[in-house]
Order: sequence, then C-alpha cells, then structure tokens
Amino acid sequence: MNTNTDQTNDPSIVEMAQGPFSRRRLLAGAGFIGAALVAAACGSDDKTATTTAPSTAGTTATTTAPTTAATTAPTTADTTAATTADTTAATTADTMAADDGSATDGKIATLAAGLEVLAVNTYGAALDAAGKGALGEVPPAVAEFVTTAKAQHQEQLDKWNEVLVAAGAPKVTKPNADLDPVVADAFSKVTDVVGAAKLALMLEQIAAATYQSAIPVLTSKDAILLAGSIQIIDFQHAAILNFVLGNYPVPDTFGKLDQAVAA
Amino acid sequence: MNVDEQRLHLLIEESQDQQSDAMRDAKAVLPDLRDIASDRRKSTIITPDEIRALEASRVSTRAKLGMLAGAGAIGVAVSSLLASPVAADEALDIQILQTAASLEILAVATYGAALTLPFIVDGNAIVKAFAEMTMMQHDEHRQAFQAQCKALGGAIQENPNPKYKPIVDAAVPTLTDAAKVVDLAATLEQVATETYLADLNMFTDKTSLGLMASVMGVESQHLAVLRAVGALLAGGGEALIAIPTDVAALPAAAGSVSFPDAFQGTTMASPPKEGAL
Repeated sequence: MNTNTDQTNDPSIVEMAQGPFSRRRLLAGAGFIGAALVAAACGSDDKTATTTAPSTAGTTATTTAPTTAATTAPTTADTTAATTADTTAATTADTMAADDGSATDGKIATLAAGLEVLAVNTYGAALDAAGKGALGEVPPAVAEFVTTAKAQHQEQLDKWNEVLVAAGAPKVTKPNADLDPVVADAFSKVTDVVGAAKLALMLEQIAAATYQSAIPVLTSKDAILLAGSIQIIDFQHAAILNFVLGNYPVPDTFGKLDQAVAA
Repeated sequence: MNVDEQRLHLLIEESQDQQSDAMRDAKAVLPDLRDIASDRRKSTIITPDEIRALEASRVSTRAKLGMLAGAGAIGVAVSSLLASPVAADEALDIQILQTAASLEILAVATYGAALTLPFIVDGNAIVKAFAEMTMMQHDEHRQAFQAQCKALGGAIQENPNPKYKPIVDAAVPTLTDAAKVVDLAATLEQVATETYLADLNMFTDKTSLGLMASVMGVESQHLAVLRAVGALLAGGGEALIAIPTDVAALPAAAGSVSFPDAFQGTTMASPPKEGAL
C-alpha cells in the first residue's frame, strides 16, 4: 500500500497545541496547572482511560514479506532501561517532595500523564476500529506499530502515575482535557489506515515536543531523565509513522517546539 | 529500484526548508546565549553555595546510582565523574558540549566515509540519501554544540571522539555491504542518543540543556530509521527501503523493531570527560 504524502495536520489540534511551551509561559501559567492538579485530585475516581484492544487486529492481517526481520531486532535494547525508569520514578517522587520546584514538576508530570492517557486511548480506539474492519485492510506492520506504541504509552503513563502517587498526588486517568475532544472529533473522521496514521503522528509530535520543552523547565534531575527517556521513544514513533506515510522520516535537524502543549 | 526520485528530491528540499526554519529559531536565542556567557564569565570563582549545591547533587546522584546495581558502563563512567575534583565540575557543561561535538564530528566523518563506498554510492537510493541528509544534520549539530560551548566560554572541540574514532577506523575497512554500514552507524547513533540523555540531568545551563534535548530527539530518530533499515536488509526486504514504501508488504516487525523499549536506557552513554579538552 502506497500512502499519500500529505502531512497536513488537523488545524484544530495544531491550534490547540500552538505556542511554545517556554519556561516563561509555563511559569505564567502555573495557576492554571495548579488548577489542573486540583482537578486531577477531584477526578481520581473517574473511570480509567483504557480501551480494549481487539487481538484480531494484528492477526487478521496477512503478509508475504520477509519474516526474518523480527529476528534482527536490536539486542542493544538496554536491559537496564526498565530498571532506570523504576529507579527514576521512585527518586523523582522523593525529589519532587523536596525541591523548591516540586510544584512545577508535579504539574508537568500531570500534564505528561494526561498526554499519555490520550495516546493510549487513541491507539486503543484505532485497534478497536481495525478489529471491526472500520479502517479497511490493516497492514501487519501498522497493526504491530499500533499495538507496540499503545503498550509503550501505557508503560509511560504508569511511570508518571507512580511518580505522582509517590509524591502524594492522585493518578491521572483522564486524557488531556484540551486535546481530548479535538482528537475525538478528528478520530471520528478517520476512515482508513492513512488517516489513523496521520492522527497518530500528530499525537506523537505533540507529545515529543511537549517533553522536549518541559525538560529545561523541570527541576528534579530524575524527572528530567524520565522525560528525556520518553521523549526519545515518542520521536522514534514519529519517525516510523512518517516513513509509513511516505514522508522523510527525520525531517528536522533540531527538534521543534511549535506543537508543544502549553500548560 | 523502487524509488520515486522526484518525490525524494522534493522531500529533501522540504526537509531542508524545515531545517532552515529550525536554524533560524536556534539563532534567535544567540543573543541570550551571549548574555549567559557574559554572566558566567563574570563569575569565574565558584561560590560556597555553588560548591554546597554541587556536593549535595553528587551525594544524591551517587545514592541513586547505587540503586542501579549492574548498570555497567554508565555507572562506572558517572562514578568516575563524581570522584573528580570539584574544580573539574565547574566546567561540566563545557565538557559535555565538547564531548557532544566530538561525537558529531565522528558521525560526520563516518557517514562521509560510507558515502565513498561503491555499494552505498551505487546502492539503494534511500540509504544513500539518508546518509547524505544525516551527515548534514550531524554537521549542524556539531556547529550548534561548538557555538554553545563558545558561548559558555569554553574551547571548541574540533576533533572526533577519541574513544570511538579508533573503533570506526578499524571498522571502515571491514565494511563490505550496506548492512554493515548501517550497523556501524546505528552504534554511533545509539551512543549519541544515550550520551545526550545521560547528559540532560548534569547540565546547569538551561540553554545547553534545551539544545541537548533538541538534538537528542533527532539522533534517536536516526537510530530508529537505521534499526528498521537494518532489519529490512537482514530480512531480504531491501526493495521496501523506499519512499513511499509498500506498507502492505512490510513485515510486522517493521512496526516495532525501531523502539524495543518504552524507556531509553543509558548503558552506552559516553561520560562528559570522554571528548573534553
């Protein structure tokens, strides 16, 4: 399947995410983020933002392509990555409780978790739609991508929630309130794999840019490391989505901030 | 060859336009960088508060590293850093930037060497175009790290990374096909990605931190693409290394091979002193 190469983002989502997430802007918006924390506390009993991913999505697709690629998965995937993340979650919470910047870090952790919920939900909805045949034939690589990306965003969400709970804040179970309705509207118009991939690309770019812009603002060294370790994965998701969509996979020499979510 | 040359050319042009935009954004902060550099140069004597903060940070970091038993190279590297005299830490930001520049210089040289090999020059057009574009992006990164280092009052690193240069020099004569080139390039991209990640929480200068985060994401994309390309080459799917590709024909693994973990680790990270002057 050759995809078209139109990389136009949904203007409403771009508008929603517009504006650099600068340190100055974040600090100016601290009151808003504080309110978000309160809202998160009030909403902690809300139903968790998870979806059931039909297992048929990955198995119904057929392929005649080489299957040996699976065996070449890089073994350099660090076995310490999970350990690092675990350690980081625990120590980030300690630092958040101790640093002067703990409030800022807590707000960013809440923002990050809300974006992760949104990603998990959207990939879950894509798997649901694929399972029902609503996206047409789903290539195996796309099914594998969606399944993997959803699982990784779930792990990342769990990590931010560990950090929040350890710091005495509630878990985030709701998607980012600003983006959620816009994404839901955009998803309702998705009718094929290309449309789903474009929406996923946009979400990955927003998440990657948000992490990138948050890193210089975070005060806890462990929170910086955690945000950076997730930012990388989101950038990589975006690269492969670009490739699938027929775009050059590494279009920017420096990570852009124009899609970062403003707090 | 399953390549739409005209489309590829347009994509590269588009990408170069975006790169120009990004560079314009980067240049916009240069006055701030100069101000910061000026401020730092005025304060060449480290204050007691800064020493106390540094010592507290070391103790905290050392404790956290203790929890990472078995973390290997990064533990050794950072423990070594923490054992260094306080004076060395005054210039830690500069050391990080010099080491980053050394990695970028080596990356440019490696892609440059690859682009002299006949099986790259006359091989898959996307692999060749990727090598060209990536070499150019690494050179932009080199310039950015060098400029930032200079803005902080540091000497500019002009030489390739001393640890990995001999490794690359030894590897180049053994590069007999594209897969081996991709493997070598992926190793360098992984070292850069993990180095920059590990560096993030060592910076004191926020502008340097922002620059590092910006470059880190791009190196990680290079790595992701090389992992996918390497898997396709190994699996006999070279024809699928095309833009646009035949998505329906891609093996399922192409959807996950590029990001094996939900979190990036740092076991291959270079310590700040590795390429410092």
